[in-house]
Amino acid sequence: MTDASTLEPLSFSLNGRPVTVDVDPRETLFDTLRERLRQTGTKGACLEGECGSCTVLLDGEPVTSCLVMALQVAGREVVTIEGIAESSQLSALQAAFVRAGAVQCGYCTPGLIVSATALLKKNPRPSEDEVRRGLAGNLCRCTGYNKIVDAVLDASREGEELSETGTAGARA
Amino acid sequence: MFYRPESIDEALALKSRLGAHGTFLAGGTDLVVGIRKEKTRVEHFIDLTRIAGLDGVYRDRDRLRIGALCTHAALEREAITALADACETVGGPQIRNLGTIGGQLGTASPAGDVSVALIALDADCEIASVRGTRTIALADLFVGPGRTVLSPDEMLLSVSIAADRKSAFYKIGKRDAVAISLVMAAASVAPDGAVSIGLGCVAPVPLRARLAEAHVREHGLSDDAIERAAELAMSEASPISDHRGSAEYRRAMCATLVRRLLRGLR
Repeated sequence: MTDASTLEPLSFSLNGRPVTVDVDPRETLFDTLRERLRQTGTKGACLEGECGSCTVLLDGEPVTSCLVMALQVAGREVVTIEGIAESSQLSALQAAFVRAGAVQCGYCTPGLIVSATALLKKNPRPSEDEVRRGLAGNLCRCTGYNKIVDAVLDASREGEELSETGTAGARA
Repeated sequence: MFYRPESIDEALALKSRLGAHGTFLAGGTDLVVGIRKEKTRVEHFIDLTRIAGLDGVYRDRDRLRIGALCTHAALEREAITALADACETVGGPQIRNLGTIGGQLGTASPAGDVSVALIALDADCEIASVRGTRTIALADLFVGPGRTVLSPDEMLLSVSIAADRKSAFYKIGKRDAVAISLVMAAASVAPDGAVSIGLGCVAPVPLRARLAEAHVREHGLSDDAIERAAELAMSEASPISDHRGSAEYRRAMCATLVRRLLRGLR
């Protein structure tokens, strides 16, 4: 990266906490997260918006962090895979991924979890087709997707059971 | 430098001063990829995403005005079929959350799905600079791949489309999501029977099929008229062969899509 004199301060909310970091105006959010803030849960593969492995939530919506310039997130809220689980507890969706065997090499998993988290927040009871469309921007070269779709559907059913027994928001 | 104007006036003043040395940035889905691949060099960024109100969608009688910063995701649920269907097929959810209509048009890709749908909805666009504002037909915006009639000091503010037309959009690609289209076409019918047709990936620019439109305006939507319109649309196309498909295939599919669209709009 370039010398310190060309850096600009960037302040934003990362996983619910305010952060300030000096960034190169030419770097992407993906670079800032991994190289400056050492949040290496966010993965990168294609770095041109095709694979979805770098997906993060920007003001609640999934975006490919490799296409967002770092300074564009000033004052905004970013949630990465590190912010999905609460403390050391897996989210219901993460637990469902483990149960379903939806993880093989694991490289696409953070991006898929982030995309699926956004999907379930917007549509808590998606059909299989809606899950496939919601995850269409995330590539997985191992699983063939079926177990990933199973995991998301499983998590959505579990979310429903939890809300039916009056413990909405509780985590598996 | 990375400029972050907070109003249209501020952005126009910057663009007037920087000219070709300043590059507008919104969703970044084309620009940042171009930078990464070293196809695009940016001296100064002018980030438009801080400008409030430029992402709005406003109804004005029988027209719908869409702000340049409106994302594809925001238009997926619009009641205008061709627009919603075109927006829904762009990239994946993450790309649709970032990519804007202004970026789609400014990029001037002959494979721009939404550009084709907008052309078929009789779109015009509002262009501004410190010198003033002008409105042109969208089909006249595009000059060639990646090139528009915009001067170095100008900015695209909004696009306005016919809101009360029956419309449809069809696309042929290798995959539903995250795939560049092979051929696409869109059409709409106005309450007075006038038909607009847009074609994509079959010319250096998103194309308005004016000969085909004129034929159905005169002869209506009978089977024979539609057949002739499909042939005319094919004759207006000048596709290339590339790794995605041959010119011959694109020309044939162009006729097929126009035929299918017009039958569906009867």
